[in-house]
Amino acid sequence: MTATAPPVTLGGRTREVAAVIRERAAAIDEAASFPTESLQALRDSGLMGLLVPVQHGGLGGDRHDLAEVAIELAGACLSTAMIWAMHCQQVASIVAFGSHALCERLLPRVARGEVYIASVTTERGKGGHLLTADQAMDRWHVHRDAPIVTGGEYADGFLITMRDLPDAPPNAVSLVYAPREALKLESNGSWNPMGMRGTHSVGLVLDGDIEPDAVVGAPGDFKTVAVTTFAPVGHIAWAACWLGAARGAVRDVLRLIRSPEGRSQFAPDSELLRYRIARVRMELDVMAALLSQCIREAADTENIEDIPVQLRLNALKVFVAEHSFGVVDTLIELVGLRHGYLREAPLRLERVFRDLRSASLNYANDRLLAVNGGMALLDQGVHLAY
Amino acid sequence: MNDTFETVLRRHLTYLAPDAALDPDASLKDLGLDSMRAVDLVFDLEDELGVALPDEAMTATTFATARNLRAALSDAASSAGVVR
Repeated sequence: MTATAPPVTLGGRTREVAAVIRERAAAIDEAASFPTESLQALRDSGLMGLLVPVQHGGLGGDRHDLAEVAIELAGACLSTAMIWAMHCQQVASIVAFGSHALCERLLPRVARGEVYIASVTTERGKGGHLLTADQAMDRWHVHRDAPIVTGGEYADGFLITMRDLPDAPPNAVSLVYAPREALKLESNGSWNPMGMRGTHSVGLVLDGDIEPDAVVGAPGDFKTVAVTTFAPVGHIAWAACWLGAARGAVRDVLRLIRSPEGRSQFAPDSELLRYRIARVRMELDVMAALLSQCIREAADTENIEDIPVQLRLNALKVFVAEHSFGVVDTLIELVGLRHGYLREAPLRLERVFRDLRSASLNYANDRLLAVNGGMALLDQGVHLAY
Repeated sequence: MNDTFETVLRRHLTYLAPDAALDPDASLKDLGLDSMRAVDLVFDLEDELGVALPDEAMTATTFATARNLRAALSDAASSAGVVR
């Protein structure tokens, strides 16, 4: 830890970092550049080790803590929050499935903020499909061509999916950790997207040798890691980020309407205004309720593979992706062109709108709905949770 | 603030006769302040007094009596400074 004592509470740490990243959000969006300074603030805060167990020097946070921090950070800058949230998803998988040796040498460094871990799961052709891989590992050589790696040029380590062996079937996927220094990296492609511009998600070719103990989970059995940890934590973290971005936008709009200047512009006694505010608030509460339910169910690892639980964990991702975007769309309708559509408007709804447009595409909603449609047919009893 | 406060508040107390005195400890609910009116009252008071009530002040206790509401407004005024 640093010489100056960091704030003790999780909320205190988070607020401090959120203030830093909020200030930089507009500039990284404008330039589509990676938020190096924002990430440094996260490194210094201890939050990079939120999910690292206390015995490895981390904060020992659970999935609820993950969601809480993600919501706050995303209200300041969704790009930075997603970079952090995906790092946490990688860390959660290593904590749950990493070998003793890997945990011993890696997790204390994560906790100290020295290692930011990026996720390498995409392949050309298969998109983000998690559970198959064409590119195979050759004991213990990794050569991986990934079309999209969020923060890939800036990560200190990578968690990579590979087919386990050249002659293994495509669904025998292994998850392996590789530190940056063990790899030769070549980035390709430019990054000039509609939104999430700070995530700097470029194509990356990674080449190098990994340690045999750096396979996370059983070789060829990424599926278990994915179903019990990688996907649930990912969906919780993403949903929290998107919900947080939408909540941040609602907060800003309410403050504007309640301010003396806003009062004269918006007629808070207008029925239409109240109807719209009621809608967006209801959407936020429903999303938060589903998030909360999924956090509870994901903590129960014994039953996490049950179909109703998997249905909800997928629904969380799909639902929040759609509805967080819908909330911001409604807000723009509510505040109108000057406050909602202009790029330089202080509310920055236009940025959040562009950012959240990515949510349904970030592991495509359509793909998860197809999976859920199949699974839902197997749950004739329609087992709900409440 | 005192006169303005009472003038604004009285506008939202439909059961209080114009010539009746406002007892600072009387139940505002009994005088006609329901939750929908409370929203309008807040906006009205904030506009007239130039003070913003924080989220924490939005409790049943604050709106129970004129005394409580006046106290909440003066707390808000002293902690945030008068807006205009």
